[in-house]
Amino acid sequence: MPTLNLIQAINLALDEEMRRDERVVILGEDVGRRGGVFLATEGLQAKYGPDRVMDTPLAEAAIIGAAVGMAAHGLRPVAEIQFADYVFPGIDQLFSQAAKLRYRSGGQFTAPMVVRMPTGGGVKGGHHHSQSPEAHFAHTPGLKVVVVSTPYDAKGLLKAAIRDDDPVVFMEPKRLYRAVKEEVPAEEYLLPIGQAAIRREGRDLTIVSYGGSMVEVLKAAEEMAAVGLEAEVIDLRSVLPWDKPTVLASVAKTGRLLVVAEAPRTASVASEIAATVAEELFDQMLAPPLRVTGFDTPYPLAQDKLYMPTVTRILNAAKRLIDY
Amino acid sequence: MVQEKLAFEPFSLEPIRLIDPEGRWIAPFPHGLPEQTLRQFYRDMLAARLLDEKLVILLRTGKTSFIAPHAGHEAAQVGVAHALRRGHDWLFPYYRDLGLVLALGVPLVEIFGQTLGNAKDPAKGRQMPSHPGSRPLNVFTVCSAIASHIPPATGAALSMKLCRTGQVAVCTFGDGATSEGDWHAGVNFAAVQKAPVVFVCENNRYAISVNIALQTASPNIAIKAQAYGMPGYYVDGLDVLASYFVVRHAVEQARAGAGPSLVELVVHRFGPHSSADDDSRYKSQEEREAERQQDPLLRYQRFLEREGLWDARWASSLRAELLGELEAALQTALAAGEPEPLQMFDDVYATRPWHLEEQRRLLAEELKP
Repeated sequence: MPTLNLIQAINLALDEEMRRDERVVILGEDVGRRGGVFLATEGLQAKYGPDRVMDTPLAEAAIIGAAVGMAAHGLRPVAEIQFADYVFPGIDQLFSQAAKLRYRSGGQFTAPMVVRMPTGGGVKGGHHHSQSPEAHFAHTPGLKVVVVSTPYDAKGLLKAAIRDDDPVVFMEPKRLYRAVKEEVPAEEYLLPIGQAAIRREGRDLTIVSYGGSMVEVLKAAEEMAAVGLEAEVIDLRSVLPWDKPTVLASVAKTGRLLVVAEAPRTASVASEIAATVAEELFDQMLAPPLRVTGFDTPYPLAQDKLYMPTVTRILNAAKRLIDY
Repeated sequence: MVQEKLAFEPFSLEPIRLIDPEGRWIAPFPHGLPEQTLRQFYRDMLAARLLDEKLVILLRTGKTSFIAPHAGHEAAQVGVAHALRRGHDWLFPYYRDLGLVLALGVPLVEIFGQTLGNAKDPAKGRQMPSHPGSRPLNVFTVCSAIASHIPPATGAALSMKLCRTGQVAVCTFGDGATSEGDWHAGVNFAAVQKAPVVFVCENNRYAISVNIALQTASPNIAIKAQAYGMPGYYVDGLDVLASYFVVRHAVEQARAGAGPSLVELVVHRFGPHSSADDDSRYKSQEEREAERQQDPLLRYQRFLEREGLWDARWASSLRAELLGELEAALQTALAAGEPEPLQMFDDVYATRPWHLEEQRRLLAEELKP
C-alpha cells in the first residue's frame, strides 16, 4: 500500500475518477500545464487532454458558473479555486446557481459538481491566503461541505464527492498538503459524505474538530492522556451534513463537549455543533459546551500561529470543562 | 443566396434591418421562407402580446404578485425562438422572456402555473413569476440574480462541444446584465474556448429606470464582442425576420464550430420594468408614445400584407383562437391547488439529509389538524 501525502491522495482520486468516467472534467486556473499551484492536478492534462483538464481564464465566476452549466448538461466537473479566499468573485455562481438549481427548477435541472479549494492558515499566506470560509457554504442550503484532514479520507471523500448528485464544496487544509502522510490503498474505495470518524476513543470529554485543527487536537489529546484524561476525538470530515448521531452518542457518554476549528467563532460551524448538542443533551451534560476557534478578526499574517487554535488553548478549554 | 444571408456584417454602425417600418423587405436576398412559417411568426408574436395583456389582468385582479412585461420584445423573442432547434439546443433565458419560451413550446398551463406559483408550476412554486424553465425543452430555469446564467450557458456549451452533441446554447439577457461581472467572465471564457453559444441581448435601453447611456459608455452592446474576439451583430429587434435570420446565422456558425457570438436586438419595453415599477417616473409621455408607434407587430403585419398573407378576418379569427387558448390554459392553471407544503423540503438535495428530515417533521407536526 503506497504512503501518500494529502495532495498525492487528491491527485490519485482525480486520476481514478477521470479514468473511470469520461464525464469527469477538471477546470480552473493553472490546473492544466502547471498541474495546479499545489500540484493537485499534476500530470492529468497530459493524460486526459486539454478539453478534460482545462486551464481557464482568471475568473472564479467563469470557473464555478461554467461548472454549473457543464453539470446541468451532463458532465461531472471538478472546479479548482486556487485558494478558498478567492472563491468570493465566484460566490454568486456557487450560491445563486449551483446551490439553488435543483430547487428553483423543481428538480428539473441539477448541478452535480465539486468545487475544490485549499483552505485555512498556517503557511504564512497572509489574510487572503489563509481564511476558512466553510460557514458561508454550510449556511447555504443546497451545498454539501467536506473538509478533509487525512490522505486516506481525501481520496475516499473526493471520489464520493465527484459521484454525488449535489454540488459539493471540497476543502483541503493547505498546511496539511505535505505535512501528513499515511498509507492510502491503491484500489477503489469511497467514504460516505456526512459520516464522521472517531480518531481516538475516550470517556472524559468529547472534542469535535475537522480540517487543519485536527493536528493540534490530536496533540492535545495525547498530552491529556499523559495526565490520565481520556478525550474522545471526532473528526467531522463533513461539516454539512454533519454527523449528529456520532457526536451526540459521544457527548452522551462523556458529558462534555469541546469544538475546535480555526474559522472565526461567530456564526461558525463550531457554534452550530455546540448549539445542537446543548439543545439535545443539556440535561445529560456535566459542563456547558465550549468552543476553541479562530478569532473574529481578518486573518493576521504576523500572528499566524496565535490565530489558529493552539494546543495550549485546547488544553485550557479542556481543563475548564473538567473543572466546571 | 445562402452566401448573401451569411454576409451579415458584424459591428455595423446601423442596426441590421430586413423589413423597414413600412413593411417592405429591404434585404439583398429573398427571405425564402414558406407562407406557413411567416404566418407562424405572426401567430407567435400575437400570442406573446396577448399573454402579456393577460398577465396584466391577472396582476390587476390580484391573482399574481408580479409580472415583467415583455410587450415590445415580441419580434426579438419570436426570432430567437425560431432560430434554435426546439428541444435539441438549450435556451438560457432571463425573466422577460415569456414570449420566447411560449414560442419555443413551453405550455401555457405551465407559464400560468409558474405565474400563480401553484401545483401547475413545474418548479413547484419556488420562485416569483416570470421565472420559467423546462427540462423537456432544454429551457434552463430562470434565476433572478442578473447575468448569473451567463457562465452556466458557457459551461453547457463547453459540454456540448466536448461531447460533440451538435447542440448550441442560446443565452438571452437585458442590457443591464452586460454590466455584471458574471457577464464578462462568461462571455470571455466562451470566446477563449470557442464554445458553441450565442449571447443575445434584448436591449430595451432601460435597466429598470437607468438608461443605456448610464449603463455603458460603449456606443452599443454588440461592439463589446470585439474586445472578447467574437463577432457582434447590431440588429433592429423590432424586425422579427432580422432577429430570426441573424440569430439563426449565429447559431449555425456556433454549431459549425466557429465559436460564440453576441447579437444585440434593439427593442422597446412598452411597459414598466415590472409590476413594482412606474415607468412614467423616468420616461416621458412623448417617449412612450413614440415607442408604441414602432410596434413590432404592426411592422410585421404590414410586411405580411405586402406578401398577401394578412387580412383582418384572418387576424381576428387568430386573435379569437389565441384568446381561447389563453383562457382555457388559465382556467386549468387556476384550478390547480397550492403546492403541497412539505414539498418545501424537496429538491434541496438529491436525497434529504437528516437536518432537513428533522425540519420537515417539525412542520408536518405543526400542520396536523
